[in-house]
Amino acid sequence: MKFSVVRETLLKPLQLVAGVVERKQTMPVLANVLVEVKGQLLTLTGSDLEVELVGHVPLDECEEGRITVPARKLMDICKSLPESAVIEFSLDEQKAVIRSGRSRFSLSTLPADEFPNIQDMQGDLTVSIAQNSVRRLIDRTGFAMANQDVRYYLNGMLLEVADGQLRVVATDGHRLATAVEDAQVSGDLTQVIVPRKGVLELNRLLNDSDDVVELTIGTNHIRAKVAEYVFTSKLVDGKFPDYHRVIPRNNDKIVIADRLELRQVFLRASILSNEKYRGVRLILSNGMLQVFANNPEQEEAEESVLVQYQGDNMEVGFNVGYLLDVLGVVDTQEVRLSLNDSNSSALIEEAQSHAAQYVVMPMRL
Amino acid sequence: MPLNRKIIHIDADCFYAAIEMRDDPSLRDLPIAIGGSESARGVLSTANYVAREYGVRSAMPTSVAKRLCPSLRVLPGNMHKYREASIQMHRVFRQFTDVIEPLSLDEAYLDVTGSTFFEGSATRIAQDIRAQIVSKIGITVSAGVATNKFLAKVASDWEKPDGLTVITPEKQSAFVSTVPVKFISGIGRVAQEKLAALGVFTCADLQQLDFAVLQKNFGSMAFRLSQFALGIDDRPVIVSRERKSLSVEHTFSKDLPDLQACQMVLPMLLADLKKRMAGRGLEPQLSKYYLKMKFVDFKQTTIEQSIKAPRSDEIFSILLKQAFERYRRPVRLIGVGFRLSSIEPRQLVLPLFT
Repeated sequence: MKFSVVRETLLKPLQLVAGVVERKQTMPVLANVLVEVKGQLLTLTGSDLEVELVGHVPLDECEEGRITVPARKLMDICKSLPESAVIEFSLDEQKAVIRSGRSRFSLSTLPADEFPNIQDMQGDLTVSIAQNSVRRLIDRTGFAMANQDVRYYLNGMLLEVADGQLRVVATDGHRLATAVEDAQVSGDLTQVIVPRKGVLELNRLLNDSDDVVELTIGTNHIRAKVAEYVFTSKLVDGKFPDYHRVIPRNNDKIVIADRLELRQVFLRASILSNEKYRGVRLILSNGMLQVFANNPEQEEAEESVLVQYQGDNMEVGFNVGYLLDVLGVVDTQEVRLSLNDSNSSALIEEAQSHAAQYVVMPMRL
Repeated sequence: MPLNRKIIHIDADCFYAAIEMRDDPSLRDLPIAIGGSESARGVLSTANYVAREYGVRSAMPTSVAKRLCPSLRVLPGNMHKYREASIQMHRVFRQFTDVIEPLSLDEAYLDVTGSTFFEGSATRIAQDIRAQIVSKIGITVSAGVATNKFLAKVASDWEKPDGLTVITPEKQSAFVSTVPVKFISGIGRVAQEKLAALGVFTCADLQQLDFAVLQKNFGSMAFRLSQFALGIDDRPVIVSRERKSLSVEHTFSKDLPDLQACQMVLPMLLADLKKRMAGRGLEPQLSKYYLKMKFVDFKQTTIEQSIKAPRSDEIFSILLKQAFERYRRPVRLIGVGFRLSSIEPRQLVLPLFT
């Protein structure tokens, strides 16, 4: 087995593939990246048994073969070689040998047959959608995914495919985010949960172009083909909450505010909010929103901002981090807050659209 | 502790009513009160001074107040406004000291011993606080300045409303002799009657009373009373003071012979408890039911039970029975109330699966 590549050709796919490799593994071979040469193609595979990423690099001269080598070390070596360096990879007995200019490295290996691969999956449903659309979906909702929650099905993102649309939903039990984009769909309505890591790794593959990414959804896996990469993730087997019922429909206190202005107000107030709870108090009156924060050191912040609102006065507390997360990802000039009372959820949307919706539960201060 | 501390006690004059009169000056000359409606068997939390001339008092059932003063206007109150005013008051206090012990929304002790404002003059600090509150909030407060909390509180009450009373260390012992015992916190109506029976009406009388007699009548409170009578009070101004429980108790003039007799008095105790809770906004903090029972032989027992929504007064009747069953003998005292949880912020959760 032997091949030569220019550093830059190898580095980017190697970094992406190595990103899937966990720092701590259940099997030694999972610390490695699978390196395969077949025909004129180099294939790199990284896996943690849940998420697998395969990258392809076209080669000129090569000899076929398969081997696994430590992912992070191989990546660090490539990264630290000079720009445009030519890297030669070969096998010598049980060692992988990497040569470049006057450098020589000899890496340990494990046999390729030990590397687990996710079996070819049956695709029941395919979705074709622009890369930037998927990226927008994840960017606008990913922050609301739970992390290491015992309700394991919340540690991920719900994908719902229906009627020429792809909808995603994420919730950690305190707030919920959902967004929808147009997509070409063939197959029936379906809902699947992609684990948190799968969502984050998929997002790393995507760019802001209109190029199409093809998603294949099977019973147990989801696969995405993005340019020269194939991303596969197991699905989370569980029942995701019904987001329709979580989105409040009858909140009648409607506030329209300038997004950036509101964001600045919350950012400043957050400085003096309790570091542990991050609570801020919102006091709403006709045409005016006041925001108060204080901390155990008895320091206080007071802010007020003009908003469009007509109605009863109301007071409600929130974790300011949850509000800032939302205001950081919506991109219209104005946002709409729909409130009910200090114990019920608030709905935040872009002022003119329902393409993204955010539900935030208050905090009792 | 420094030899002479400088403590200021600030107490707003008919606070809730004052805020309402500030926001609607047409109420100024009318008898008004804040509290629950008569039809809901409500209780008053504050009455203005016009209403007080009719004998209307806080914690009085609205129906009784209406009888005393038929033209009384009872307003439902707006806690948000009161809290806002309270925050503003504290902002004024904090210009002068960080050692502030709030007793309620409108009442606080300030320790200004180390303060350098106004050349360290607590009197002038108190004057300035009073002036600032009038101009910034539009209500009046009474202030007392003294060397300890007991005297500062007595002083703020001395020339209420809109008064300032300063008890200098030199005048202190002469002043305290003239203070009626009813000004001492912890001396309620019953204790007052007991003291009156002993011929004690002022702190001077109390000073003369034999300590053994005092101890016989007031038990563990006797020492504190004798100290107060001398104008001595070493309690520090405690910055963060969190209420842990709220309860009322009653010692019966005649011991209650059996469970049935106990059940008979329970509604009265619960009504008292409701009065104590009125307007404090403590409902979100209530965490446990609490019942205390003291028997004829001074054996004592307490029972607590977590509050499961919805809160129900009937639980007290069950706790009463359980407490009584423990000793089964005549009862001299029953207390009922609630344990309060701390008011840590609490993130509410989405109704994901309802």
